[in-house]
Amino acid sequence: MQSDNHKLFQQMIDETLASGAPVQEDRALREHLQSCAVCEEYLNSSTRAIATLAGFSFEVNPLLHAKVSASLSQRAQQLGATPLSRRRWAFACIGAFVLTVAGTLLDLQFRSLIAAFFNVTDVHVQQGLLHFWIVSSLSPVLLFLLLPLLSRQKERAL
Amino acid sequence: MDSDTKQIAFGLRHRDVALLQSLVEQYQYRLVRYLIYLLGRRDGVDDLVQETWLRVLERGSSYDGCSRFEPWLFTVARNLAIDQTRKRRTFSLDSSDDEEWDAGAAPHTSNDPSPFTLAARTEDAERLALSMQTLDPVYREALVLRFQEDLSLQEISSVVAAPVSTVASRIYRGLATLRVQLEKGNHAI
Repeated sequence: MQSDNHKLFQQMIDETLASGAPVQEDRALREHLQSCAVCEEYLNSSTRAIATLAGFSFEVNPLLHAKVSASLSQRAQQLGATPLSRRRWAFACIGAFVLTVAGTLLDLQFRSLIAAFFNVTDVHVQQGLLHFWIVSSLSPVLLFLLLPLLSRQKERAL
Repeated sequence: MDSDTKQIAFGLRHRDVALLQSLVEQYQYRLVRYLIYLLGRRDGVDDLVQETWLRVLERGSSYDGCSRFEPWLFTVARNLAIDQTRKRRTFSLDSSDDEEWDAGAAPHTSNDPSPFTLAARTEDAERLALSMQTLDPVYREALVLRFQEDLSLQEISSVVAAPVSTVASRIYRGLATLRVQLEKGNHAI
């Protein structure tokens, strides 16, 4: 019975120390500790164990800070360069998309007119526009759509 | 604290290198200490510290500034340490199964003195150095986060990705081991 009592109060001590609340705040525990040498000893050795942790002082490599700072600056420069080139790439792709739309409209609306002007068949005009205008301007747009996938893979690799 | 954490979050979102360097200076020792407690060894810790700060730079936008910076920083460091130990295949850090921890834990294998022996500055610390080395890493981690870093149980729970009750029981068990060692030392004297 007595040992059960100690167990209960020692559990309370553990909980109080782990939560960071002052032991003296719990009235029942405070009163028990005043009359119980076993639990008082338990509390003392627990607080001593906690205090001992502060007795470990690790040495830090004096060059570590400079090393970390240098690698941070270098990495920040690399990362800073990425959004700019990505923005340029985006503008180029918007331009390419506009060209694709323009090429398609030209093909649909003015194919016959162009054929008559150059004295060729409609099919020749269509193939010419498709190969040398529409497909070539569409390629960077498709590549741009793949960019998020590629960068996600790169991040995962990091 | 709120304005501080918001400021840190803002700086990290904008990859403010000056802010990062001041954070490095402020948290360097604590990060080193946490990693030594976690891994139980000194070698490789400097590289992990460097990798942690690089990860903070790259993924800083995921820190929202609504909670303290320390738990987030330790989570980043912990994840990197887990990745590294997985690569080394020495022992598993993310297991919540204590038995699995015991089975795999082999943190310090060389004949050199352990980092705890080298770091002991008081008689009690010298007495505890050996048991710190053999103590289960999850208990060591819980002890350093609670009593050295002053993190709340909830914050520790978020760092170690385990329920608060598990964190509390790791602290109790860790403390129990240290108490026994200190008492043994007393009797020996």
